[in-house]
Amino acid sequence: MSMSENKSFLSVKNIHSYYGESYIVQGISFDVAEGEIVALLGRNGAGKTTTLKTLARALDPKLKQGEIYLGGVKLHELKAHEAAQAGVQLVPEDRRIIPGLTVEENLIIAQVAPTKGWEIDRIYEHFPRLAERRKQDATSMSGGEQQMLAVARALARDVKLLLLDEPYEGLAPIIVHEIESILQEVKKIGITTIIVEQNAVAALKLADSAIILDTGEVAFRGTAKEVLDNKELREEYLAI
Amino acid sequence: MNNFFLQTLTGLQISALYMLIALGLTLVFGTLGVVNFAHGALFMLGAYFAVEIASQFGFEVAIVAVPILLFIVGVALERGLIRHFYERSHTDQILVTFGLAIVIGEVLKTIYGANNIPFAKPTWGTGILRLDEYLPFLDGAVYYPKWRLILVVVSFSTVAALFILLQFTKFGLIVRAGMRDSQMIAFLGVNITRRFTIVFGIGSIIAAIAGIFGGPITQVEPELGMKLLIPSFLVVVVGGMGSLPGAVLASLIFGMAISFTAEYAPIQQIIIYLIAVVILLVRPRGLMGKKGLME
Repeated sequence: MSMSENKSFLSVKNIHSYYGESYIVQGISFDVAEGEIVALLGRNGAGKTTTLKTLARALDPKLKQGEIYLGGVKLHELKAHEAAQAGVQLVPEDRRIIPGLTVEENLIIAQVAPTKGWEIDRIYEHFPRLAERRKQDATSMSGGEQQMLAVARALARDVKLLLLDEPYEGLAPIIVHEIESILQEVKKIGITTIIVEQNAVAALKLADSAIILDTGEVAFRGTAKEVLDNKELREEYLAI
Repeated sequence: MNNFFLQTLTGLQISALYMLIALGLTLVFGTLGVVNFAHGALFMLGAYFAVEIASQFGFEVAIVAVPILLFIVGVALERGLIRHFYERSHTDQILVTFGLAIVIGEVLKTIYGANNIPFAKPTWGTGILRLDEYLPFLDGAVYYPKWRLILVVVSFSTVAALFILLQFTKFGLIVRAGMRDSQMIAFLGVNITRRFTIVFGIGSIIAAIAGIFGGPITQVEPELGMKLLIPSFLVVVVGGMGSLPGAVLASLIFGMAISFTAEYAPIQQIIIYLIAVVILLVRPRGLMGKKGLME
């Protein structure tokens, strides 16, 4: 899918985000078409996670300037819970599985606010390992299982924009492969997705297009193939 | 045997009041992250409201009306004042809630004077019970004030009700989740701030229950809030900031310690502080405290 030919579904216009006084995202703009999967890449500190959190309307970082539109909805005017109700789902870097709650409770809590996505039974069909552990304290599961739950929890909501922050981080290669299969399924459903991942090759395998950030600004926007084929670009911005 | 039983019962009664005040404190801290030093003042306000309503309309009306009134006061305080301090430091929160407690105390002093005012128990709560008639293992006649037993029953029933609310309802699930990670709950579309306002109101209801049933035992006077706030805050710290089971456990330990040192007055005065020092030395986060809170 070419990002330039499609009508923009997510439109990010000149956003500037801060952690306190630290100026992290310094005027990023990009558009994403409906159903497109974008790999958001860059070195550590480039502003990838901050961009995702800004899109999810987290309390921190603070968006001080810029506009974000999702299917015409002004995300920049919304709080985190309102953005989530508008269809934004962040799967955070550290998964943020709620401690003290079972696997099933972690899924139920995702369906408290409107609008529901997949029914829990459907989630269990796609994630049988979660079904086996439904009554288990969710944080007692392995890292890979917690990552599955984090993705499943997002799917439990009517997700229009999926933001994946380092979905493969800290996982064994065999588990990474399993998560990749799940994300391939998500891709088939056609959910608009932005994936931030240190393992750039893995992210690019999944993505249609790529954005490379450098010190809070967009350094490159093109197809995933262009990044994979451009050694110079990879070395300069991704060190791979 | 009789002495041991009576001291245990007295320990439970002392625990009951600490438990009620500490539950509200720790519930608000665990969910909102706010150290609410005005909680003692809310308890005191509950006692004053109860005196006023009970004398005009009867104690039964006070049991219903005071929690509703305190819920309204709690929600108004959270929306009008406390909410603006969620993102501020704990020091700022302590200062503003402490200031609020002083204001409430002074207002009550202006209206009712500095002396304690009488708070009559209802007729169904006066008198003493002969416990050996119900408990055959007691040897000879054993008497205990009926109201103190009522306080114990009310207190433990409140703990049970709160446990059921938090453990078995959807509202409770959201609150428990919010206590652990409020930002993630917001990412899942839940307006946790609205729920937290209700939590603050529930904390105020618990303070009201403490005021209604504790008032006839403690004296109703403008220093009451502060007097009970300090040991109750210690209960929260020893139990582990934000831990409800911890608050219950710590209040039981404190109540029993005070009761069983009754014959050694100098020790009784300091026993809870000694226990707090020992427990916090061994477990700096308290008995059931979680990593990350207040750190």
